[in-house]
Parts: sequence; C-alpha cells; structure tokens
Amino acid sequence: MSNAPAEEIPTADIDLEAANHVIDKYLTLPGNLMPVLQGIQDEYGYVPKPTIDLVAERLNVYPSQIYGVLTFYAQFHLKPRGRFIIRVCVGTACHVQGAPRIVETFFDKLGIGHAETTPDLRFTFEKVACLGACGMAPLAMVNDSTYGSMTVQKVGDIIADYSQRPMKK
Amino acid sequence: MVNLTIDDKQVTVPKDATIFDAAKAAGIRIPILCHDKKLHPFGGCRMCLVEVEQMKGRQIPACTTPVTEGMIVRTTTDEIIKARKMVLELLLLKHPIDCPVCDAAGDCDLQNLTYEYKVNANRFQDEKFQHKIDYENPLIERDMNRCIHCGKCARICDEIVSFGAYTFMNRGIEAKIGTEFDGPLNCEFCGSCVSVCPVGALVSRPFKFKARWWSLNKVKSVCSYCGTGCQLTLGVKDNKVLTTIYDENQGFHNGQLCTRGRFGYQFVNSDKRLSTPLIRKNGTLQPASWDEALTLVSAKLVEAKNAGGKSVAGLVTPRLTNEELFLIKKLFKDGLGSDSIDHSAGYAHAALTAGAAESFGSAASPSVISDIQNADLLLVVKTDAYETHPVVGFEINLGVKRKEIDLRIISDKRGKLSKLPKAVTYVHKPGQEVALVNALAQVLLADNLQDSTATGVEGFEGLKQQLEAFAPEKIAAACGLDADTIKTLARDYAKAAKALIILPLGLGYPGHGKALAQALANLALLSGKVGKEGCGVLFLGEKNNSQGAADLGIYPTAGGADADAILAGCQSGSIKTLIVAGENPVVSYPDRKRVEAALDKVEFLVVQDLFLTETAAKAHVVLPACSFAEKSGTFTSVGRAVQQVNQAIKPVGEARSDFAILNGLLAGLTGNAPYADAAAVFAEIAATVPAYAGLTIAGLGDTGAILPVTVKPRFVAAETAAVTAESGKFALVTGSALYHCGTMSRFGEGPMHVCPEGYVELGRDDAQALNVKDGDTVAVKSASGELRLKAKVGTRMPQGVVFAPYHFDEASVNSIAVGAPVTWVSISK
Repeated sequence: MSNAPAEEIPTADIDLEAANHVIDKYLTLPGNLMPVLQGIQDEYGYVPKPTIDLVAERLNVYPSQIYGVLTFYAQFHLKPRGRFIIRVCVGTACHVQGAPRIVETFFDKLGIGHAETTPDLRFTFEKVACLGACGMAPLAMVNDSTYGSMTVQKVGDIIADYSQRPMKK
Repeated sequence: MVNLTIDDKQVTVPKDATIFDAAKAAGIRIPILCHDKKLHPFGGCRMCLVEVEQMKGRQIPACTTPVTEGMIVRTTTDEIIKARKMVLELLLLKHPIDCPVCDAAGDCDLQNLTYEYKVNANRFQDEKFQHKIDYENPLIERDMNRCIHCGKCARICDEIVSFGAYTFMNRGIEAKIGTEFDGPLNCEFCGSCVSVCPVGALVSRPFKFKARWWSLNKVKSVCSYCGTGCQLTLGVKDNKVLTTIYDENQGFHNGQLCTRGRFGYQFVNSDKRLSTPLIRKNGTLQPASWDEALTLVSAKLVEAKNAGGKSVAGLVTPRLTNEELFLIKKLFKDGLGSDSIDHSAGYAHAALTAGAAESFGSAASPSVISDIQNADLLLVVKTDAYETHPVVGFEINLGVKRKEIDLRIISDKRGKLSKLPKAVTYVHKPGQEVALVNALAQVLLADNLQDSTATGVEGFEGLKQQLEAFAPEKIAAACGLDADTIKTLARDYAKAAKALIILPLGLGYPGHGKALAQALANLALLSGKVGKEGCGVLFLGEKNNSQGAADLGIYPTAGGADADAILAGCQSGSIKTLIVAGENPVVSYPDRKRVEAALDKVEFLVVQDLFLTETAAKAHVVLPACSFAEKSGTFTSVGRAVQQVNQAIKPVGEARSDFAILNGLLAGLTGNAPYADAAAVFAEIAATVPAYAGLTIAGLGDTGAILPVTVKPRFVAAETAAVTAESGKFALVTGSALYHCGTMSRFGEGPMHVCPEGYVELGRDDAQALNVKDGDTVAVKSASGELRLKAKVGTRMPQGVVFAPYHFDEASVNSIAVGAPVTWVSISK
C-alpha cells in the first residue's frame, strides 16, 4: 500500500478552487464520489486532506467514508506525488533482462526508494509488476512516455532530461 | 407469508424475512457475530452458515438469504459445525487471546462461541495485529487488534446515528476499521458502537477494569435525562452504578442510547454529591442532622401554613418521579394551602401546559413516538430536536433513511438533521416561527386544502380572520423565506397522507411556548392531521418527567403564581418561604441577575438536590436528595409513555429520596399517616388523574403503558411577538448543546467530554468579518450583560445569527438572555 500513514500527510494550505471546479462538474451525477476524487487527483497529483473535507461537505458524504474509498483503491494517493512518475517494470521478462540493476541505479541517482518522492516533488519512483510490453524489456515509463531496452547509461539520460523540463503542466 | 422447514420444524414467516429471522421465530438459535436487529443484514462473519436442501446442500449465510416457499433448511449438520469451527479458528488466528484483561470477557460473542464450539486448538498460525490502541478520548477505547471486522460499529454509526465516524479502510489482510485519516476517534461519543461490538475492540473507558461482567447486578430502569424515556439497564456493584448495559430488546429504541444515557450515569456516584443536610448558620452552610434540618423546615412550613399559605411557593424539577410530584403538589395544596407551585412550565413547557391544553383539550401530545416512523412527512421545528432528544433524532434518521420519510425542517439554523438524505431545511429569521407557521396555515385556507372536519371546530371563523394578516407575501420578507417556498411547504404538508409535527421544548427555547404550540396545533387541525396514526403534533418535553409534571398539574392551575410570578413575589417580599426541589433557577431560568436578586431576598429557602448547585448555595437549608437510581416510581415521557423506574442502589451517603422527604413533611403537616410506598401513591394518582385510571405500578411491567388522550380540538389564534432587529447586532438564539440536558448533565463524564463548556457558535462569514477563529474567546454583549465565550465557527449558522447553549454556570448564558426568543448582541474579540 503506497498510502502514507496519518502523521506524514502534509497539511499545507491548498487552493480549493480547482477542487470546487471538479465538484461543480459532477455535482448532479449519481455515484459521483469516484469521478470527483479522480478529478481532484488529476488536478493536484494526489488527494490533499482539505479537499476531502470539502468533498465531504459538498457531496454530503462522511469524511471517513471518503477515506475508506481512498485507501481501498491503489490508484489514489494521499501524499504529494512527483511531477514525473518513473515506473520500472520488474516482471519476469524485464527481471531476466536486468531490471534489478536499472532499479538500483534509479535509487542511487534519485536518492529515494520504492514508492517515494524526491523532496523537490519532481520525481516519484515505483517498481511495477508488469507494464505489458515484454518485447521491449527491460522497460521504464515516465508519466506516459515509454523507454524500452533500458540500460544503466539511459537512466542518467532520462533523469537529466526530465530534470530540465518545467514543473508546471 | 412463506412456509419453510428449519431443522424439521414448520415455520411460517412474512416473505421479506431471512432464514435467520425465520429460525428466530421458530425458536432455533443460529450463532452470529455481525448481526443486530436494528441494522441491515451484512453477511460478514460467516458464522450463520446453514444448509439449504434446494441449493444442493450448499452452505449459505442465514442472515442475508431471504426465505422461499418450501425451503428446507438445516442449521446443525456435521458439515455446518465443521465450517463454523473453521470460521472461529480463522477469527482466532488474529484475535489476541487476552480475555483475562479484556473488559468484554463474559459478554463476548467470540469467547462464548469459541467455548460453545470447543475450539481449543488452532490448525493455523500467524502473527497477531500490531495496531496502535486509541486511548485519546476518555469514553471509548478502540483496540483494533481485537476487531473481528463485523462492521457493526461502522454500520450503526451510519444507519442510525448518521455520524459516520468509522469506515473499513485499506484492503485484504491490511483492512481494518478506521476513522477519517486513521486518526483518533472524534465524534459525538454516543457509544452505540461500543454497545454493538461483539468483542472487546470497543470498550467503555469509564467502565474499564471496574468489574467483571458476571459480577454485575443488572437493574432495568428509565434514563433520567431528557423526555424521550429511553429504557436502560444499569450495571450495579457494591452500591455503585458502574455502567449501562445494552439490551437490543429494550424499549421502542431497541436499546439505543445517546451519550447521556450511556456515559452520563456518573452523577449518581459522583464525589460532588451532597452527603448530609446543610443548614445556614452565621452566613455559611454547615452540616446538620436530618432531624435538625427537617424540624427546622417543618417549623417554617407550619408557620407559613398558619399565615394562610400564600407566602410559600415551590419550584419543582420535572426530573422527579410522578409519585414525588404528586406528593409535592399535595403538600402545597392540602398541607400548606398554596397553589404557587411550578416546574418552570411558563419558561419551558408552556407549549404543553398552555398551548396543547387549549388547542387539544389536554396538556399532552396527541401523538406518540411510534408515529415518527409511521409518518410520510415530518415537519420538525428547529434542527435542535436532535440535540435535545438524540434518541428521537435517531428515530428520525431511521425513518428518513429506511422509509424515505420526507423530512422538512423549519429552523433558524442548520443542524445535523439538515444533512439527512433529501431533507429540506427552511432557514428563517430568528423569532419568526409563529408567523411562518401561521402563514403555512393561511396557505391551506387560501388553497382550500383544509380538511372537511376543520370547519366544524370551535374557533374556525376567528382563526380564518386572524390568518388573513399572515398571507405568505405579507410575512415573507420578515421571515427571510420567499412566498413560493412557504406555499410549497404548506401544500406538501397538506397533501401528505400522514404528517407529523415535532416540537422540542426546553429552558433554552423561550420561543417554543404557547403561541408556537397553538400555531402548530392549528396547522395540524386544519389539515385534519390529528388523532390518526403517523399524524399530529409531538411535543418533546425537556426533562425525563416533563409530561408527568404536566399530567399531575405541577403548574399553577388555581390562580397560583407561576415561576415568573414566584420570582417576582420573592423580590417583592410577598413570598417568604420557597421550596426548590431539584430546580436550578440561577443557571437555567432567564435573566440570572433577576433570579439571584429574588432568591437572595427569600426569608427561608429550602433546596432539595443531589448537588450543591448555584441555587442550593443560596439556601437556608439544603436537603440531599436521591438520583433516579436510588428510588422506585414512574416517569411519563414524550408521547405519554408511563414507565417504571426501579431502585438499583441504596441512597448514597445520608441522602434521602424526595419521596421520603416529602412524604414525611406531608404527614407532619396534615396529620395523616405517611404513604407506605410509591405504589400506594401511584394508586392514588390512578384514582385521581383520569389519564392514569386503571393503571398500577406493577401492571406497567417492563414495557410501560401509553396514556390515553382525548383530543378536544379548538382553534386558538396564535399571537406573534414582534422581533425588532437592531442594526449591526447579531441575533442570539439559545438552546441545548448536543447531549446536555438541563444542568444535571454537567456531572456526567459523557456529556462533559462532548461539550465541556459554554460557547457561542458563529457562521463562517460572520467569523471572517469579525476576524474570529474557532476557539478564540469573544465578548458577547447584550442589553442585560456581557459574557466572554469561546467561539465555535461552523457551517450551521446563517449570517447574522449566533447560538449559545444554556447549561453552564461559568459563562451562564442567562446573564445575557432574559427570556425573549431572540436576544440582540454585539460580538467583539
């Protein structure tokens, strides 16, 4: 489970305008909790606590229930995620093609472990079981871009490339 | 009806029954951990597996499977026993076997079933959970290591309490019951979750390590806080009330209680209880013997009686039993010759004693509590019905959620009831209740929606004339609601086949008096919604025996003085002796300055109370009285239910029950023999009060009796009091804080944890404009005084309206509110 325990959740001031906007969009839709939470995660990259209270108030759902939903689904994140999500496949095909060394190199170069985020909120690193493109093993993804036939050298290039890109979407 | 066979027994049950219900009806016990009769079936624990022949002998859960015609069910085959044993083995895999230090031991379903199914070894092995135990609050301890995931706590909190503190969080083996952000429990602390927990995962902290379950003596009684009349079972040991015990078969509420009932019993054995009589000597109250105190009181009463009895008056709390109320009324009437006795009726219960008495012909609600669930539409006046009578609130929650009852609330603020699904809250300007209800009645007449019976009721023409001034268009602006909204509400109310009006009463609600009761009665009578199931008006009397006090005439009936006049009499010197039995006027009556000045002038003030209250501190003689747990008798609650109160413990210290005190004084004054016991007094009540005719205390049994009521309808024009807004000031409305009731709840751990002190509640916009944050201390200033109160900022209050509860001595709100429905105040930091 990649969700943070309660004490690690930051409570920084969050601008709720985007969340309000998402709620407005789905307000009259029956069963709107999931699309609202997904929309909020799209906006903020994770689901910040103040937005949970806002959703609870506006959709008239208990905050506890929302928390139950958020912790049930692996797709939701309760602590900030990086601008760029690096996923490295450690499935069977990638494993035999040397995925463990790719993972180790990312750990070394980023200074973070599995399911962790760099302090500057630029990168989040995750090991995943299979990305479904075994022919390109070993495989890495950064957000929606795919990098096949990964090598240890390419790790440095990818990090250098994404370190240059703007933090704003 | 459906016929089926369970373990070779023929059973006939309604078609919506489950196999579990059918087995229960046939007297066959199916073991279960996740079931409570109040909750929806869950099917989580798998203990109730049974075999159904038509399903090829598959094992299916009895609690979620509906019955079908000709079904053949077996509940105890070898295979089933084996399956249940395995369920227990799996539960015990993670459940710590810490029964010797677990409070639930002896009352634990898991322990009992493990014993019953002889699960003495486990084929499986695993580590136990290492969840952190939540000790953060003083009432409910949550040890999730013991949890078996039956989900009852989460379900009761959602389905009945509608707070939703708990949820299943995470997935798979990591799943557990958690709160929002897995933080400490922060809720209303009603303890419903503790009551249904089948193991020791949720335990009551006030009871922790106090006694083993099997060593408790269990005594059935009735809660002595609000007027709802919840039955409860007290757990007693060594002359102490140690806990309340859940029994899902008790009362209309199926054992459901609020914080007061469940965690508020500590006042009974409180260290602050008075232990001996006190007599004022040289300006201070000093311990005295009962003989000395009673001799002094008797002498003063004889003196007063000889002077004609006009100089003696009484203020009596409606917390006393019917028998005690009867005795004190008799003491005043026959013993002293005074009619000046009141139970703050004019301040808190005029809706019953004047409103209902004039409109319906008797000082009682024409409706009963079961009408709530039978209604199609509920018209609740003020969301505060939840705060004043939480268990009535639970009934409303259930009705709205399960039966889709249309809930309409007219209120000066939003509240918990407003959040119920599809509930509509009509937020009007403070103090406009009567005008608004009159407007609703006017719409009925204008649209010709009145019932055919209405025209024949006395006063119809007069009402019609009076209501002309209340056309929605005329009052819309003053009410703060637009005319069309008012019309829609009136039409919906009139068109609902069964509609019930609910009006909470209390010392905090000066606006809920005679006029509002009459306006509501007119509305109900006009639409023909009185005297039918699910219809009428339900007055929620504030205290446990408010209805009894009205029935027994504890208000001036023969030209005597009411509480207001009694205080005036004290001030002017015409009343020289005042008996205060259980009331605490200094804190609870409007205009504290005036009350204090009046009490200071009384020549001889006798106070009978459990505690040295602010009022008792002014007395010349203080007599230590008994709580409900120390006496037997009856209470009459909301909806006219007479129920039996049973003595659970011997009087604490030297305390004597009000019954004993009054019985002695009465015998002394009249020269008659004292009554033998409460039953003898009840027999006299049955003989003299028509509604109680034919009842005996023993005949009430565990269930009690509903008193009959004959409605003699009459339309009485409900007068509105003008509310003049003062520009730049806030409208202060008073009332009850959640789970407090009168001033007694200050001695209960539960209510004091939920709400430890007075506060003033503001809306977010007002708070922002004043630059006030939640928890700041603000100065609230009215024409009669100034108070410093903690600010509570929330979403309940509309702009320009603030709320303050009345129960507290420090920051006592009656020092700024003098009994008007709205007090204009300025607020500054």
